[in-house]
Amino acid sequence: MALTIQKSYNESEGKWILVLEGEVDLHTADKLKETVNQMLSEKLDDIRILGDRLDYIDSTGLSVFISALKKLQKEEKNIILANIKPSIKKLLNITGLDRIVIVE
Amino acid sequence: MNKEINQEMIEVSIPHRAEYVSLIRLTVASIANRMGFDIEDIEDIKVALSEACSNAIMHGGCNVNDNFLVQFLLEKAKLTISVSDFGKGYDETAIKEPKIDELNEGGLGIFIIKSLMDDVHIDTGSNQGTSIRMIKNLREES
Repeated sequence: MALTIQKSYNESEGKWILVLEGEVDLHTADKLKETVNQMLSEKLDDIRILGDRLDYIDSTGLSVFISALKKLQKEEKNIILANIKPSIKKLLNITGLDRIVIVE
Repeated sequence: MNKEINQEMIEVSIPHRAEYVSLIRLTVASIANRMGFDIEDIEDIKVALSEACSNAIMHGGCNVNDNFLVQFLLEKAKLTISVSDFGKGYDETAIKEPKIDELNEGGLGIFIIKSLMDDVHIDTGSNQGTSIRMIKNLREES
């Protein structure tokens, strides 16, 4: 299954909204990385990821989040993960990433 | 799996290309489901196997036209998966524990595999390829 990415900037909240649908793996992580880099070079602001339809992610996708966090933390910004599946929550937990990002 | 047979082996040979990792996930999800693993365990196995395949594709040092091998050994109470590439191999001691607090993304794959599977063995070395063998036990209640 492929990955569909929708990005938009919410002016009133001052956040990027990123809707991920499908699977982030070795094949699709580059597309996510390009999108996130593009967003952050446009505006270095919080990224709220809506994970309702994100079925799968592994270390290749988490690495994209980690490299984005390096840039975001300099401006005291963060990544917010909303409505993610239990299997993805588990992965955030075992890697310790849930202590760094905000999980809603 | 046929209850009268003690063990069965399935082998898949895959090109060193990222687009095939999702195909392996579908394959292992189907195998694990047939064996009676629950949804949480199936997700664990899918992630662990994807990590091992990503590792073989990224670090195996093989030509994209070469293949690597995934073997599934189905037994009554456990699934053993081996991912073997025939590339350059690497120094296993060079793999560091990931330090998320320092935002270090290296070494996450192997760490995730070890966290999600019940037993993991890595066999690698210079110029002898890499083989990652991982086991998931079927829980009594599942």
